[in-house]
Amino acid sequence: MASNIESMEAGSQPVSTRTRDVTHNVVAPRRHPGRWLAIAVLAIVVLQIGQAISTNPNFHWDVYLKYLFAPQVVRGVGWTLLLTVIAMAVAIVVAGLLVIMRDSDNPVLRGLAYSWVWFFRGTPIYTQLLFWGLFAVLFPKLSIAIPFGPEVISVETKYIVTPAIAAILGLGFNESAYLTEIFRAGFNSIDRGQAEAAQALGMKPPKIWWRILMPQAMRVIIPPTGNEAIGMLKMTSLVLAIPFTLDLTFATNAISNRLYLPIPLLLVAGTWYLAITSLLMVGQHFLERHFGKGVSVHPARAE
Amino acid sequence: MNAIVSEFCVEMQNIHKYYGPVHALKGVDLRVKRGEVCVAIGPSGSGKSTLLRCINQLESISAGRVFLKGELQGFTERNGRFHQLSLSQIAAQRRLTGMVFQRFQLFPHMTALDNVMEGPLHVKGWSKERARAKANELMKRVGLDGFGNRYPGQLSGGQQQRVAIARALAMEPEVMLFDEPTSALDPELVGEVLDVIKDLAQSGITMVVVTHEIGFAREVGNHLVFMDQGQVIEEGHPRTMLASPKNPRTAAFLSKVL
Repeated sequence: MASNIESMEAGSQPVSTRTRDVTHNVVAPRRHPGRWLAIAVLAIVVLQIGQAISTNPNFHWDVYLKYLFAPQVVRGVGWTLLLTVIAMAVAIVVAGLLVIMRDSDNPVLRGLAYSWVWFFRGTPIYTQLLFWGLFAVLFPKLSIAIPFGPEVISVETKYIVTPAIAAILGLGFNESAYLTEIFRAGFNSIDRGQAEAAQALGMKPPKIWWRILMPQAMRVIIPPTGNEAIGMLKMTSLVLAIPFTLDLTFATNAISNRLYLPIPLLLVAGTWYLAITSLLMVGQHFLERHFGKGVSVHPARAE
Repeated sequence: MNAIVSEFCVEMQNIHKYYGPVHALKGVDLRVKRGEVCVAIGPSGSGKSTLLRCINQLESISAGRVFLKGELQGFTERNGRFHQLSLSQIAAQRRLTGMVFQRFQLFPHMTALDNVMEGPLHVKGWSKERARAKANELMKRVGLDGFGNRYPGQLSGGQQQRVAIARALAMEPEVMLFDEPTSALDPELVGEVLDVIKDLAQSGITMVVVTHEIGFAREVGNHLVFMDQGQVIEEGHPRTMLASPKNPRTAAFLSKVL
């Protein structure tokens, strides 16, 4: 025992080696009859609901199974996932810029960031998407020109702002306004002394943002941003307004309109949204674990 | 103009600082020679921490000049006018100083060793091996050999402050600034941090220490400054000044804390 302690590095606590000497109390586990009763009641209720749903012919489970992996549906899942990921990426990049602009000394940048949030948060997403859809009508040509002078380059808008691009920009810009507020809250939660400590080391502002502030803000930013990502997943069903016609909701609606059977195809869409949400939650869990380093309640022992 | 070699490592001339209408520093002069351990004491709100933070430009000054090793800080002077330096020029000037804060301010998302390596690696651009070797050497110097893999949250206050000292030293600064380094510590942990600072003082590095530890000032300091209400009231050698203060305000303060 003594040699055990001596061989340890200075300062580490010889706790675990001592536990052998302790006679533990014999603790009888508490009984929980209420829990067992609740489980029994719940099991009966769940079985009954399960039976009611699975044997009800109105749910058309055969149709559900037939269309769950239908090519249009799977393609719709792909597009919905793609829209979610790209629009979210656009939103994160724009919100990152906006949050730095809002913190800037430059009053023009601050005002611009403030106005952006004010506008995109203050108008309905559906209206915004309609306008993105009408963009090519409003501005048939996009051109770079010298003001009041000759045009340098000119392109027809419909080749640039395609329905997919309109959907991504519409969803992404709208989301960026909300994310800016989330990011701002994250950065505001950090002790001002952290930035001062980095400055005192001689770090320049971009490095301070990237290496010191961002990783700490992430801990606060990720849970609500995960919420927003899941919200975005379902918001993609609004791209019908543009109209963008390849997403999951549009695909299942089209099939149900053809079959006159809305219920099984709503179930198909619901199943897929639930599956993707579960996937996003797994991703969030790992991100939270990564950025929780050093501050989590149950610290991962580095040794 | 910047080439004037000064005998003073830190030279502050007629520093004024306003926070809105509050006149926090009222024309302070401070000269710290190379290798000197300058200790600033005084009641809370006397401006001693503000003065310290003006040295590495964490506070902007309203009037006056700060020189480090003869180089004007924060500005260039041309034709009688001050021109503000860019943020990266200011960052470069800050490498002359290392700072230790009252509340440690270790980066909580990095291990102790990564905290110490951060400056050499990402400010000086050293290689990983060189930065790690330096960090390990400094962790040993502050008595925390083997604690490198711990996160700040897994260390006691005294250990955290010693890591913070190692982090500041890793940049090999000309001047070490201590802003009440033991004020946030439990009483039994004060000693271990003061021991590290004493050890540093004996190594000959120039230091400016703001503290309430009068005993430390007497034992380690060789230049004591007493501040009150934004002014330097009295300065001199700690032992003579603590034994027989000339100014009645100094005497009144010392009678309360000794």
